[in-house]
Amino acid sequence: MCSFSASLVERVILALSELDLSFMGEIANTPRGKGVLLCIQCGRCSSSCPVARLTSEHNPRRLMEMVILGFKKEVLPTQLPWYCLSCFTCLDRCPQGGDVGEVMFALRNLAVRLGNVPAGVAAQAKSLYETTRVINPVRTALDKRESLGLCKITTEGLEEVQKILKKTGMEKIVQSR
Amino acid sequence: MKYAFFLGCLIPARELSYEVSVRKVLPELGIELIDMKGANCCAPFSIQSVDYASWMALAARNLCLAEEMGLDIMTLCNDCYESLLMVNNLLKRNPELKNKVNEILSEVGKEYKGKVDVKNLVDVLYGDVGVSRVKSAIKEPINGLRVGTQPGCHLTKPKRIHFELLRGFNELDALVQATGVESVPYERKEMCCGGPLRDINDDLARQVSREKLIALKNAEVQAVVTVCPFCFLQLDLGQLEVKRHFNEEYNLPVIHFIELLRMGMGMKLEDWEVKAHRIPITGLFKERL
Amino acid sequence: MAEKAVLVIGGGISGIQASLDLASRGYKVYLVEKSPSIGGRMAQLDKTFPTMDCSMCILAPKMIDCSHHHNVQLLTYSEVKGVKGSPGSFVVTVLRKPRFVDETKCTGCGICADHCPVEVPNEFDEQLGMRKAVYMPFPQAVPRAMTVDKVNCIECGLCQKMCQAGAVDLKQQSQEIELNVGAIVVSIGFDLFDPTQIPTYGYGRYKNVITALELERLLCASGPTGGHLLRPSDGKIPRKIAFVQCVGSRDRRFGTTYCSSICCKYSVKDAVLIKEHEPNTTVSIFYIDLRAFGKGFQEFVNRAKSEYGVRFIRTSPGEIMEDAVTKNLTVWYEDTVAGRIENTTFDLVVLCPALLPRTDARELAKVLGAEVDTYGFFKASNILTNPVDTTVPGIFACGYCLGPKTGDIPDSIMQGSATAARVAEVLERV
Repeated sequence: MCSFSASLVERVILALSELDLSFMGEIANTPRGKGVLLCIQCGRCSSSCPVARLTSEHNPRRLMEMVILGFKKEVLPTQLPWYCLSCFTCLDRCPQGGDVGEVMFALRNLAVRLGNVPAGVAAQAKSLYETTRVINPVRTALDKRESLGLCKITTEGLEEVQKILKKTGMEKIVQSR
Repeated sequence: MKYAFFLGCLIPARELSYEVSVRKVLPELGIELIDMKGANCCAPFSIQSVDYASWMALAARNLCLAEEMGLDIMTLCNDCYESLLMVNNLLKRNPELKNKVNEILSEVGKEYKGKVDVKNLVDVLYGDVGVSRVKSAIKEPINGLRVGTQPGCHLTKPKRIHFELLRGFNELDALVQATGVESVPYERKEMCCGGPLRDINDDLARQVSREKLIALKNAEVQAVVTVCPFCFLQLDLGQLEVKRHFNEEYNLPVIHFIELLRMGMGMKLEDWEVKAHRIPITGLFKERL
Repeated sequence: MAEKAVLVIGGGISGIQASLDLASRGYKVYLVEKSPSIGGRMAQLDKTFPTMDCSMCILAPKMIDCSHHHNVQLLTYSEVKGVKGSPGSFVVTVLRKPRFVDETKCTGCGICADHCPVEVPNEFDEQLGMRKAVYMPFPQAVPRAMTVDKVNCIECGLCQKMCQAGAVDLKQQSQEIELNVGAIVVSIGFDLFDPTQIPTYGYGRYKNVITALELERLLCASGPTGGHLLRPSDGKIPRKIAFVQCVGSRDRRFGTTYCSSICCKYSVKDAVLIKEHEPNTTVSIFYIDLRAFGKGFQEFVNRAKSEYGVRFIRTSPGEIMEDAVTKNLTVWYEDTVAGRIENTTFDLVVLCPALLPRTDARELAKVLGAEVDTYGFFKASNILTNPVDTTVPGIFACGYCLGPKTGDIPDSIMQGSATAARVAEVLERV
């Protein structure tokens, strides 16, 4: 039996008080996040994840654990949700239907609302809003298309896309960056 | 068979050669491709990460366009495939979700009705054309070549959500064998190419593609056969990036399956198409170029 | 008046127990068994938890009792084809498949097998060893008679020529017989989940990835390696062994969402056994939860850790890869307690697969008119109050065919006796 120092107890109490116990419910109520309720922390996802093999920063099981325990501010504003490849290996192998790969999307959706978006994603979103595509052919590629007689790449449909993105609120996200 | 041809963003921007090969080969096999006017981005994983409703609506708009054309969709890119397939699947199974999405679509005078299916190139070649027809279209079999196929993540996973709709390794391998090429099993065939992390975390993306290249090299394949433009980019251009950052050379030519098929059918690749492969393919295919 | 006879379908330990209990009460027992010998899974095991007895040493006397008891009629290599009637008076059609050997004449000397030119993988050894086309499934088989596997037999006639007792009859025909019984007991046991359904574990591709039942055969003195734990690829003694739990169990992907209930037990037992044999071999068990219920089991786990140095790593591995040269296996996993992704190389990997209903369980249930649950196990008429009654009055079930609710040997024996009591109640009705 070990004895805890007062400061360790204080730290533990402090850490516990900073947990957001509603985090798991919040994620579970998103369209892609309900799998978190089924997680048994077996670790098969992290044992299979190609990114987890390469960096200790990324660990799908640990991310689920953090959601379950309520480590909201340690996850949402950080890099943590953005290492995922969305390769779905985890989801494919999870024995319980925890849908880890889907929960990752739920996490990222919430992270974006806090303004946590990597530059590359923000750029794609902006391009989508301005041209209907996340990336566009450069001049030489467009010329080549024309010389081959292929269909034109236009911004036809832009008005509709922008109306949609305005309705969903993504326009605001794009314009706030 | 006619399909609404969903090009996606990446191919017109960076892999025109893929599009050209598809347009040359498929009509010979009885598949007619009709361009989708005014189609928008499918909403790949980066956009899905931003907002759920936007993903649903953007993908659904494309599905509406196809419905208006009265045709099923065929995609080339795995990302496009899975985005459109998932949304189509979810909307078909969940009326409440469908109503919500249609509410958004009503802003632009569109309504998703659930009348079309989403297929990818492997689907169409395996399911509609069939391996035997592909085989009989081969005039110059490509014998003696050992390749590793990269079907890509979003063609084969997640099985739980897509179950019978997903084509797996077997279909692509069967098609590859039909051209005379040997598809060699290798470790981590299911593994991602690293594409989705491009521009988000280039360092990690490189490390992932490197692992993939190592696994391919260990299996002693002569080339890699892809179907997704992302996988192609990661494994082809990616080899140069891996060389720069890790000082490792793999010398593994990467080629799209449709290009293999095209050559097998006796159609030569043009100069600019050959040059589109940053790891030279001239060594393996010189007579056919 | 009820027929004072009972049909027991399945000659494993629970069926054997039911048969002996009923026979000793004076009822006639027909013990029908699909394979050439009774004994079931217990015959395949090396040592049993918790007593660490040699499994066959406990089982064989009961098997002999069955063969000698005047009230027990063994109908091995036979299958139940039809059932009609009601409690007290069932009429059962049993197909006796031809073994092409006269059981009454065969002495089990084995000279036929010595001369048989055909070798095929031995099912009893889980395909690890070979047998001849004329064979006895294991040395202690009951009845002690050879069987000709006509599928692989090339009809050379050597067995018939060499047999001194004139027991081989290659022209033997199958026989359909009718039995009048008052009650029926189902005790057909289980099959194993096929781990090739999880390709990333390499079973079927990598020689040194084996199932726990295959391990039992390697450990067993009557097995293909004479009881020496030698790994399949090169016959070397493995120095680093891994056990992987929940291969197929608790897994929504395959519909086997239940816990198979005995795997944690037997893998710790096997780990301790291996350590006793080879103290220099390290054994690691990869588990999700360690289900150590029941008297003495938690203590056993504690001893495994402290006295024997068995390592327990909490994780479900993602991938197993083989080194092409050494045939060693590298297991990729996250140690969930440490929170680190690791990979460790082992000489031998033992998968603990889910236990499934027999592949023909549904068919038999249909013949009996009994219900099975969503998994295919025989459904109890009331899981709480009548756990050994099937949904058909007069038909009872015991052992793993009822499902993993319980399932180790003492439980199977208990259930066998329970069904005997239930049967007696039916047979005594006027």
